[in-house]
Amino acid sequence: MFLKVELPWNVVIPPANLVAKGLMLKKSISLRLLKGFAANKATKDHGYFLAITTVESIGEGKVRRSGDVVYPVVFSCITFKLFRGEIIEGVVHHVLRNGVLMNCGPVENIFLYKDLMPDYRYVPGENPIFLNEKTGSKIVKDVLVRCVVLGTKWLEEEREFRGLVSLEGDYLGPVS
Amino acid sequence: MLRGEDEDASELKIGEDFLKAKCLMNSEVAILLEHRYDQMKQMSGDSTPLPQVFEKSLQYVKCFSRFTNQGSVKQVREVLSRYQLAEFELAVIGNLCPETVEEAKAIVPSLKTKGRGHDDEAVERLLNDLLMIKKFE
Repeated sequence: MFLKVELPWNVVIPPANLVAKGLMLKKSISLRLLKGFAANKATKDHGYFLAITTVESIGEGKVRRSGDVVYPVVFSCITFKLFRGEIIEGVVHHVLRNGVLMNCGPVENIFLYKDLMPDYRYVPGENPIFLNEKTGSKIVKDVLVRCVVLGTKWLEEEREFRGLVSLEGDYLGPVS
Repeated sequence: MLRGEDEDASELKIGEDFLKAKCLMNSEVAILLEHRYDQMKQMSGDSTPLPQVFEKSLQYVKCFSRFTNQGSVKQVREVLSRYQLAEFELAVIGNLCPETVEEAKAIVPSLKTKGRGHDDEAVERLLNDLLMIKKFE
């Protein structure tokens, strides 16, 4: 789910940049915020950070002992997070013996385990597929699939989420 | 912050912070990210690579946008807002565009919660309104 959230951030301006005042200072704060934001790929609580939409407010700066000034900023941005129980649509990028890997938005590794694909059977070959013998429907690379999120895992080192999904439920499966 | 085990979007248990946050439909995000993409290109030219998270998300929303016209996207939000849906429910419906009442209740189970006033007739009207917007896009 894509969300628009309001977040606080502390922007640190080193003394050298403080010579500028007014609009130039505001620009400097915004630029630093953008850089900091872009470098922060995702967090466990908020999900992936996509883009800042507006800077809502810039508070009064507090001077640190080092001479830097810290400005408390509040800004709005677009984020992405997967929620347990959410119905999502993803694209298959790998077909494995025990299931398929999909991506959805910025999340690259969402796993659909074969036992959670009712009526689908793995068909090995040069281009392996999962085939539903009853309906003839195929799950193969680049197919769009609607599924339900069973859970997500946050990987601290890689700063990314992994997802686990299922096709068990009505109206789930490949989307034409 | 809601603990992982308690989270369940099908019952709208997604944590207070997220219930208050505005949920955006893929179509809305597509418009916002495209605009940002144009701005970034203007500012730094074609040489600077885009953050991967941004690029993957832009690709995704362009592929999964049900409504491409800015006017239609606005209309979808306006129309769906008249039905007392939670932000989360509105976005899921706008993203997946269910065609029948049964499908809508399957993908947004929280609609079935008693006492919310979303009887089948109301859901049917909602879906017809969506269909109208799609037809005239």
